[in-house]
Amino acid sequence: MATAQKTHKTSAVSELLRSPSLPALLTIAAIVIGLAALLPLVQSSDATSINGNIQKLEQEKSDWQARLHEIELGVASLGSLDHIEREATQRLHMKPPQSVQYITVDVPAPAGHKLPSRFLPPQPEPQQSGSSIWHKLFGWFPLP
Amino acid sequence: MVQRRRSSNWRLWAVVAVIGVATLVITARLAQLQILDHQRYASEARLTHVSQETVSGRRGALLDRNGYPLAASEDTYDVMVEQRAWKDSDTAAKAAQAISAVTAGQPDAMLAAVAGTDVFEVPVIRGLNYEQATKVRQLGLNGVRLLLSSSRVYPEGNLAAQLLGFVGRDNIGLTGLEADLESILGGAKGSRTVEHDGLGNQLAWGTNHEVAPEPGSDIVLTIDRYIQRLVEKELDAAIEQHKAGGGTIIVIEPKTGEILAMASRPSFDVTKPDLSDESKVALFRNRAITDQYEPGSVFKLVTASAALDTGAVGPDTLWYDSGVVNVSGWSIYNWNFSANGTQTVTQILSKSLNTGAAWLAQQLGPDRFYQYVDRFGFGRSTGIGLSGEAPGRVRTPQNDADNWSPVDMTTNSFGQGISVTPLQMAMALATIANDGLAMKPHIVKEIISPSGRRAIQPEPLGQVISPETARTLRQMMGVVVDGIPKSLLDVQGYKVGGKTGTANIAAGDGGYRPDAYISSFVGVVPEENPVLSVLVKIDEPKDVPWGTVVAAPAFQRIVQPALAYMRVPPDQPVLVSEIR
Repeated sequence: MATAQKTHKTSAVSELLRSPSLPALLTIAAIVIGLAALLPLVQSSDATSINGNIQKLEQEKSDWQARLHEIELGVASLGSLDHIEREATQRLHMKPPQSVQYITVDVPAPAGHKLPSRFLPPQPEPQQSGSSIWHKLFGWFPLP
Repeated sequence: MVQRRRSSNWRLWAVVAVIGVATLVITARLAQLQILDHQRYASEARLTHVSQETVSGRRGALLDRNGYPLAASEDTYDVMVEQRAWKDSDTAAKAAQAISAVTAGQPDAMLAAVAGTDVFEVPVIRGLNYEQATKVRQLGLNGVRLLLSSSRVYPEGNLAAQLLGFVGRDNIGLTGLEADLESILGGAKGSRTVEHDGLGNQLAWGTNHEVAPEPGSDIVLTIDRYIQRLVEKELDAAIEQHKAGGGTIIVIEPKTGEILAMASRPSFDVTKPDLSDESKVALFRNRAITDQYEPGSVFKLVTASAALDTGAVGPDTLWYDSGVVNVSGWSIYNWNFSANGTQTVTQILSKSLNTGAAWLAQQLGPDRFYQYVDRFGFGRSTGIGLSGEAPGRVRTPQNDADNWSPVDMTTNSFGQGISVTPLQMAMALATIANDGLAMKPHIVKEIISPSGRRAIQPEPLGQVISPETARTLRQMMGVVVDGIPKSLLDVQGYKVGGKTGTANIAAGDGGYRPDAYISSFVGVVPEENPVLSVLVKIDEPKDVPWGTVVAAPAFQRIVQPALAYMRVPPDQPVLVSEIR
């Protein structure tokens, strides 16, 4: 019985080898292996493309920052005392006063202009008062 | 047959031996290259393929006390060219021509810069602005890239040039505040490490490491750009009017010790400092703190303060002026060789009597006199934190017993034979203005870093004279100003206290230069509760030497608009008008 089974197995392998579907199987296997080999290439290509995009975006960010700084300084130059005086005398034809009058009044002086904030960092947001529902819940527990 | 087999065996073994030895040699060499000298060759390979460049963060700005930028950084671009990309002369010439067309650079200079080097890449043009850089990038030239850099911009032009200083090409401060505050303004440098292939292209999977730079902090100064401009304008006008050699003006807020304005002449163009000419290097120094001079009669305020504070005299104490004081064989006269008879201490100041100042010093004695000179801060640096500050020179019986003589104290009492800096003199005046409390002078008001803001608080140094003495002295200074003709000094609406000075200039051989003077005026306003103390010093005026004529008018032209600008109410609630 066992001999008969072994004979059957051997014949199945040899049948497979002789089968006309073997080339097709080998072709499929080759394609699978080829695709698997292509995968790192696709990944590598994708990473290169992303890297290129990141560099391009960084370049754009850098350009915008440069533009912003240039505009900031342009505004600063327009606000310079020399420029203000030039505009006043040349464009608006203003002249220094011939007569100056100082009048004392019994009200406080108006508040000074706020600082131009273009070079100053934004003020921190005021802390929101009150705690969240989770804080309240935790507050009920006797935690240290 | 056997003989033949032996012969072929020998040849076979010989070939095997040769191959074996060759294999051993190659293996040994491989072991040397890849194991023993691995580190060396790996680092050499890295040097060839991996490049590292330093990346600077944006340099912090120097702002005036109201936040207006006095010096700030602008992003610029340097055009970098790979040397081998321009090996072909035709390609190089075309590329240089194309760059030149959009940047106004010189093509020949660019070609020479690349040809004259063997490094990987060189800058061919520097400092392009954003528009120019965009145009260069759009050219898409092979082997040409833009390197982000920055340059310093001065929106207010040459305002406070010596105080601010300037930076070098590497963006590191060389003089002034730019150098003194380098560690704060400069931030921390970063680096960018990238790996290239054999053609110089960046490898996507290679080493790519970037340490981001930290931007520098912005610094808010105590300087007020309006008052600084006013001061520089009036300093220039006074120098031109009196054909003077130079001068210094300092404006201080006495209650805090904050420097509102500090200007000296001659100065330089901060936007284009000339480092090639050594003779012009002296123009870079901040003379208000580096230069020492004999202050002359303005120093009588210190002598009078000491005499009043010790109770040796009062403002109305009488004294007889014979016109001469004899000390150690020397005769001391008044500036006009006058003999004024019986005079009060107040008149010593109002008439600026050298003999009277000498008498006051004699009432004190050398110990107490020099003790007050020291308490006012003379003979040592003020601690303002600016480099190059001179300590001044005060010869006392303690520090120079061999050379000191009583005549030194006599001449010191009216400001000769003693060297001070303009800032020291201005701070002594500010102490009197601040009811006798000396404040540490400072120029930095606030530091604004990405992590937050840090305000610099005013720092009291100590009570030099009592508040009562300071008030009395200011009243005496008011009397001095009352004696100045209105045409020279009349601050409409405000009571002013001040003192004039006309000092000789030391010649270096122990004597004084003939016909060379320093004219000065120190004043506080309003006299009752001063908000400004001002020192005006004009060096070597050619027409008249007197501080009253040369320096006092400049003081008036500065404080009159400055008080209105600072919204300081006039002393009396009346309508005041000024006709110019």
